[in-house]
Amino acid sequence: MIRFEHVSKRYGPRHDALVDLSFAIDAGEMAFITGHSGAGKSTLLKLVALLERPTRGQVLVNGQNLNQVRRRGVPRVRRGIGMVFQDHRLLLDRSVFDNVALPLVIAGVPREEIARRVRAALDKVGLLGREAEAPATLSTGEQQRVGIARAIVAKPPLLIADEPTGNLDPQLSAEIMQLFGEFQQVGTTVLIASHDLALIKRMGKRVLVLDHGRLIDDYRPHATG
Amino acid sequence: MNRRKAANRMKPAAVAPAAAPARRDRRAALRAWREQHLYSLFSSLGRLAARPGATALTLAVLSLTLAFPLLFWLLLDNARQLGGRLDDAAAISVFLKPDLPASESEALAERLRARADVAAVAIRTPEQGLDEFRSRAGLGDALKVLHYNPLPTVLLVRPRATAANGESELVEALRREPRVDLVQYDLAWRRRLNAILALAERGAEVLAALLAAAALLVIGNTVRLDIQGRSEEIAVMQLLGADNGFVRRPFLYTGLWYGTFAGGLCVMLIGIVEWALAAPLAQLAASYDQRIEVHGLPVAGMLGVLGLGAALGWLGAWLATSRHIALGQPR
Ligand SMILES: Nc1ncnc2c1ncn2[C@@H]1O[C@H](COP(=O)(O)OP(=O)(O)O)[C@@H](O)[C@H]1O
Ligand SMILES: [Mg+2]
Repeated sequence: MIRFEHVSKRYGPRHDALVDLSFAIDAGEMAFITGHSGAGKSTLLKLVALLERPTRGQVLVNGQNLNQVRRRGVPRVRRGIGMVFQDHRLLLDRSVFDNVALPLVIAGVPREEIARRVRAALDKVGLLGREAEAPATLSTGEQQRVGIARAIVAKPPLLIADEPTGNLDPQLSAEIMQLFGEFQQVGTTVLIASHDLALIKRMGKRVLVLDHGRLIDDYRPHATG
Repeated sequence: MNRRKAANRMKPAAVAPAAAPARRDRRAALRAWREQHLYSLFSSLGRLAARPGATALTLAVLSLTLAFPLLFWLLLDNARQLGGRLDDAAAISVFLKPDLPASESEALAERLRARADVAAVAIRTPEQGLDEFRSRAGLGDALKVLHYNPLPTVLLVRPRATAANGESELVEALRREPRVDLVQYDLAWRRRLNAILALAERGAEVLAALLAAAALLVIGNTVRLDIQGRSEEIAVMQLLGADNGFVRRPFLYTGLWYGTFAGGLCVMLIGIVEWALAAPLAQLAASYDQRIEVHGLPVAGMLGVLGLGAALGWLGAWLATSRHIALGQPR
């Protein structure tokens, strides 16, 4: 599903964020990217979502070489990826429903179908019946759930999340991670950047460790708890 | 669940399955396109309604900007009638000496007709002149007290429109004629009026162009502020895979609404001005013996104003979005 081939990313003239990165993640797999702050986790995800372009090497998503995607093709690539952000990035002047519906509106899904799919997505994240509320009135954990509902409502084959539990307490973090695990179980490829090592360990999934932009480890811990 | 897995191996799930008939694909695409346009159309309208104060102010500025050159143009269009009856005016009135026999008047007219710089000569006998006077309200009674006809024979000489100095030569020749009492010639004045009107007309065109540019700037700036105020929303939509067309659409509709509403307001403004001026204009027309006819903006013109407003709105928004949204797009 995702393949990095000798990917380097350099910001400015000589600031290496990623150095000669190669790995592959299979369809339906769930993997974590971890590492110290500034290790290049966010940059890696940005390359997948075409928010940045690699300086060298190539990134393949779904068999498509992103280097060959021109500007006009970028939105289509992004529509195939569900994205979750640490600060959820919900539109605060719109209802929960409208936020979750946005990817479907962008994809031009008919209105009746939008309503049905938004409710299904909200149901999956445990927020059914809250669709009329404003995001600002929800708790942080609930906001993140809305963000996840928005990411999965268009049923993208790939879900990426950058520090999705960064603002949450351990209890809520565990619940959110559990939610991501459920999406993997129904076939979605999930890639999460996080530095919460304890939580990652408990999930028992594959872990890629970055250090100063280099891949220094790639392992699968045994699930505990 | 199986379907989800199948979808995984293919392109992004949002893309319809390749097996679907092309016709259904097109229908779905058309429907999606329509949904998106309707969505933009109404969401932009809702956004204008959500800030009534700012919207009203923008609309007021825009409609005045549109109304100003239009009113000017209407004024000119009406004023052109004053100089418009050039046929009458262009004729040189030659008043012959009183008591000149009709045969001599005829002979003079014939001689003048033979000149190369004369197009036509008409004779108005004293009797015809008197009839004309009588037909004017009030004068008939005044003339009754006269026991004789005081009017001379008048030759109406229409010069051939050729060289500029030709007419003054003709006028000189007429003045030298011994049987001629008076030569009345106001073509120069007419010409000056027409030149002034032509100048004013050109001025109106330039003004219209400048004010159209101003309207574009007003709409462009309003849309630019709107874009800036919604930069986070735009960024999120782009992250979610919205293309430039989608991001741009609500702003284009915003511009369209602004332009159309301003056009409507402008038509109303013009209507109000016409109504306010109706009575004094009627008086003015009466003083011209109803020979001029005051006309306002025709229905086609009103529709034209609406269309023009809509076009300016769309264009202004288009300029603003192509400048400010493209820059915001992360490659
Ligand atoms: N837009 C940018 N411009 C310049 N440097 C950047 C930019 N984004 C990230 N960096 C740098 O690249 C490195 C990796 O950043 P990032 O991918 O955000 O790391 P992480 O998410 O692991 O904390 C950091 O040193 C950071 O300062
Ligand atoms: Mg980061």
